[in-house]
This record gives sequence, C-alpha cells and structure tokens, in this order.
Amino acid sequence: MTGTVTLALPSKGRLKEQSIAVLRTAGYDVREPEDSRQYRARVEGGDGLEIAFLSASEIARELGAGTVDLGVTGEDLVRESLPAWEDKVSIEARLGFGRADVIVAVPDCWFDVRTMADLDDVAAHFRAGHGRRLRIATKYWRLTQEFFSRRHGIQVYRIVESLGATEGAPAAGSADVIVDITSSGSTLRANDLRILDDGVILQSEACLVANRMSLAGEKGERMRQIAAAVQAAA
Amino acid sequence: MALRQMLSAAEAYLEEAGAQRTVLPVIQPADPFLDMAGEDLRRRIFLTESETGQALCLRPEFTIPVCLQHLAQFKEKRDPVLRPEIAERNDGPPEPIRYGLCAQVFRQHRDGDSEFFQAGIEDLGTEDWIAADARALADAMGLVARLRGTDAGLRATLGDQAVFAAILDALGLPDGWQMRLLRAFGQPEALANALNVLSGREAPAVTQDERVAGLLAAGDDDALLVHIEASMAHSGISPGAGRRPEEIVARLKERAALAATRLPDDALAALETFIALRVPLAEAGRALTAFEAEAGINVTERIELFAARIEAIRLAGIDLGAITYDAAFGRPLDYYTGLVFEIGIEGLAKPLASGGRYDRLLTLLGADRTIPGVGFVAWLDRIEALEAASE
Repeated sequence: MTGTVTLALPSKGRLKEQSIAVLRTAGYDVREPEDSRQYRARVEGGDGLEIAFLSASEIARELGAGTVDLGVTGEDLVRESLPAWEDKVSIEARLGFGRADVIVAVPDCWFDVRTMADLDDVAAHFRAGHGRRLRIATKYWRLTQEFFSRRHGIQVYRIVESLGATEGAPAAGSADVIVDITSSGSTLRANDLRILDDGVILQSEACLVANRMSLAGEKGERMRQIAAAVQAAA
Repeated sequence: MALRQMLSAAEAYLEEAGAQRTVLPVIQPADPFLDMAGEDLRRRIFLTESETGQALCLRPEFTIPVCLQHLAQFKEKRDPVLRPEIAERNDGPPEPIRYGLCAQVFRQHRDGDSEFFQAGIEDLGTEDWIAADARALADAMGLVARLRGTDAGLRATLGDQAVFAAILDALGLPDGWQMRLLRAFGQPEALANALNVLSGREAPAVTQDERVAGLLAAGDDDALLVHIEASMAHSGISPGAGRRPEEIVARLKERAALAATRLPDDALAALETFIALRVPLAEAGRALTAFEAEAGINVTERIELFAARIEAIRLAGIDLGAITYDAAFGRPLDYYTGLVFEIGIEGLAKPLASGGRYDRLLTLLGADRTIPGVGFVAWLDRIEALEAASE
C-alpha cells in the first residue's frame, strides 16, 4: 500500500457538483461529509484516495506547493497563480465544464480599437496625450503581462489591481481597458465593453491537474490511473 | 579578482574616466520604473509600500534614478528664488554631467541571485552624441577589460534604432506604420508580425461598426463626433477621464486611410534585407551604402553619421574587429532612440556589460527640453564568476 493520494475539489457551486459528477462517472463515488463544515471526504471505490474541498484559487496554489497531489481547478487560475507553472504541475485531463475565456475588452465607444495592434498604437501615444500610461484593470497580472509584453510587444501600460467588478472600471474612471474572465459575455455587454478581435488570452476550462513531484514519486502510478479514468469519463 | 577588489578597481576606473562619483538611495519610488520600463519589470522588482501607501522598490537599475536626480538639480539651479543670479543668465540646457555609479541593484530572477553589483557611467546632457556614444562604448569595454585583467576574447554587438528609423522614413511609409515598426524594433517576433500584417501576407479578420463605417465613408466628421460622444455618454464613460471623442475620430480617420493600403513588396523586401544585416563594424558603413543602393532609397546622411561614429570608436582605441553590427539589435522600451550595445565573451550567453542611448527618457521624466543621455553598466558578479570559473 503506497501513500494516500489527495485530490482537491472546489468546495462550492456548480464546479463542485460537476467535479463530483465526473468522478462518479469515472468510478469514484465521493461521499460528501454529513457535516457541511467538514472539508474532507471519503471515496467509495477508491482505496487510498482522499478528497479535500478547497476554493478553486487555493487548489491551484496547493497543487503548486505539493500539499495536494491532484486537483480540479480552472486553467486560468493555474497559469495565473503559479509562476513557471509547467515546472510544478501538469494538466492531466480537460473536463469540458467551467468554460470561460480570459479576454481583453475596451469600451464600445473606442470604435477605432478592434485589435491588439490598435491597442498597441493607443498605448504608445497615451502618455503624450494624457500625461499617464494606459491603465488596465485586472486580477490576472501574470496573464496580462505575458500577453501584452511577450506576445504583442506592448510594454507601456499600467496594471490597476482589481479585486472584483473589473467590468465597472472604465466607467468608474479607474482604468481604460480591462482583462477579465467571461463565459457568456453578457456582463461585458451590459457594461458596454467589447472584446478585441484577437483579444482572447486564454480559453479556460476546469482541468484535472497533478503536482509533478507527486507524479514522479511512489504515488505516481495510482495518480495516473485516476487521471486516465477521469479523462475517459470527461 | 575577488568581488571586493573588483569594486575598488571599478571605482578607480570610473574616477580615471572622469565620471562624477554618485551614490543613489537603495529605496526608490517605484512609479517612475513602472511608468518608464513597463509592467514587465513589475514581477522583477522588489516592491513595498510606505506607511502612506506610496509604492517603493529596491533600486533595480541606475539610469532612471540618475536622470531624476539630474532633473532635480537642474530645477533647483534655475529656481529664481534660490539662485536669482544663475536663473537669469542660465536658461540654456543644464551642464552635461557624467555620473559614475558602482553599487548593488536588486531584481528577482527565477534562478540565481537577486542582488548584483553593477558599475557604469550615465552621460547626461552631452550634445556631441557621436563623441558621447564612442566614449560610452570605449569606457564599457575598458572597464570590462580592466576587471578581467585582459581584453582577450572580448566581443561587442552594436545596433542603432536611428538607422532603422531613417530607412522607414526614406521608404516613405505613413507615420503610423513607421511608429508601429519602430516600436517593434529589437523584438524579432513582434517585428515579423507587424511586417506580415502591414504587407498583407497575414490579413487578420477585423470587425467594424456599421454605423461608424458609414459615417467615415461619407466623410461626415461632425456626425461621427456626435455619435462617439453619445456612445460614451451612454456607457457612462467620462470624456475627460481618458481618451477624448476627438481623439477617437482622428484615429478612426487615420486608420481608414491606411486600411486600403499595403506595404509595397519592394519596401517589405528592403526591410527584411536590412534586419538580416549582420557584419563586422569596420564593414558596416560599406554594407549600409550597398543596402541603400540596392533598396533605391536615400539615407546617406544617417550612414555618414554612423560612419563618423565608427571612426570615433576606432580613435578611442577600440579594436573594431571585436565589434559586430547587428542591424536588428535594439531594446523594446520607447525611450531608447539610437545606439545600443552588449559586451560579452564568445560562448557566454549573458553580457558582461550593456549600454545604450536614451534621448527620450529625460523628457518622459519631465524635462521641458530634450536632454540627450547615453550610458552603460558592467555586471561585476558575472565578471567575477567568469574569473572564478577560469582559475
């Protein structure tokens, strides 16, 4: 008997239900604790597999730190919250739910800005016209920097940290454009924001993610079995 | 040489070179760095906050704080209350100063150390840029050679954005395109992308707003402005907080004018030939003249200036055989305007020293006139590690 594999699942909402459903299809029947404040669960049919309920962003962090072996979380959170994520974790299965895009959106009235090249142009001239750099509201610092600086060579902008209601930043005057996550686009439309034609940074979905150290260790074989079963069920 | 000896040797070198020894505070306001060097720097600097919420950081480099110090002194000097006698007669540019720096800088690296010793000179205000460029390169190569105890195997790569800018201008490209290509200069991927799009080799589908397209086609600027103002008001966006409706109209028109045109094939071919150019510096003048003839453009004045600087570098005692001109070599920040260089050893990926001209930086930092600047730093820890490895 090798060590117990810890699988972290989202602790609430549709992500939790859908994660439990896909595990059930894969043959792992998660027995939710009767006490809802209990954050651990057993698995029927999965010896040596233990469930930990955590918030989705915590799951990405704990996977990176190796305190859990497997976890279900959004690809956006993995890429955003883990520096050099590919060295620490690997995506073992894409689960087909929790789909959402991380996007760049500008106010509707910026009729001249349709592409990242347009935004590059506007950013380059912004300081001369307004005495400050173009401001981007987002909670996705890392993804924004990679997309703007590395991919599109745009260096001159400032990120304004946004911890909620990012879509309101342009109207509130705290930022000019936003980088945010959207599934249906309805929040963006309600706020008169438009996604740039080439402004999709990431098409994210819920993934089964493994810590690479665990995967390389004695639990690795068991983890790969679980991943294969979940992949087949997804 | 151990690091401690290297520090005193570097300080002695800077003094011999006639630079004014300058000490900068370790803790700096973070905003100038983030504003000038961009968000990409954010994850590499050590950020903290003052009690009052001001963003502070550990000094990540010398250039920006030296420029700020230069401007502050200049302001004080011209203050009519503090210095009435000088303010009256001294309305010209500030005295040029060459600042000598030798201290630690702090940057986060994924692997390796986060604190490094650097030594260098920032030359601010020297109008004779040819002499200043040559001196910066000569000082940088001299410093590295002094610290290594030899100039054996020393190689430099040199680039110059001003040549690229002159070619874009001579090709008669629209201003908007020139600026876009200039911004991508020094970033091979971004430059290739921009060339592909402008030449129509890659034509990404771009959406448009029907109403706006109609007004543009009709040339009805007033109606366009009204439409944009209404849209802005509808979205609750204050026209004073960011981009103004007039600005959007102007850019819409500029964009529409360019949409119908493509970068001509011969211009594309010329630009691609140019950015592939890589020759020993001694041959760079001839190579550029040959390129000019082949492309059928006139950039003679710029080539002559380039050649004059090569001569100044030769006269400074630098072996031109150790320097390669790489036409596409540049830095992605908007304040670099001309010369850039890196000095290293064959087979070693990381440079031992690097430098460049940043004539736009002091204006961006608030100077009310153009103040030229050129500078370099040597990475003392890298030189020391190299010595330790070879012993």
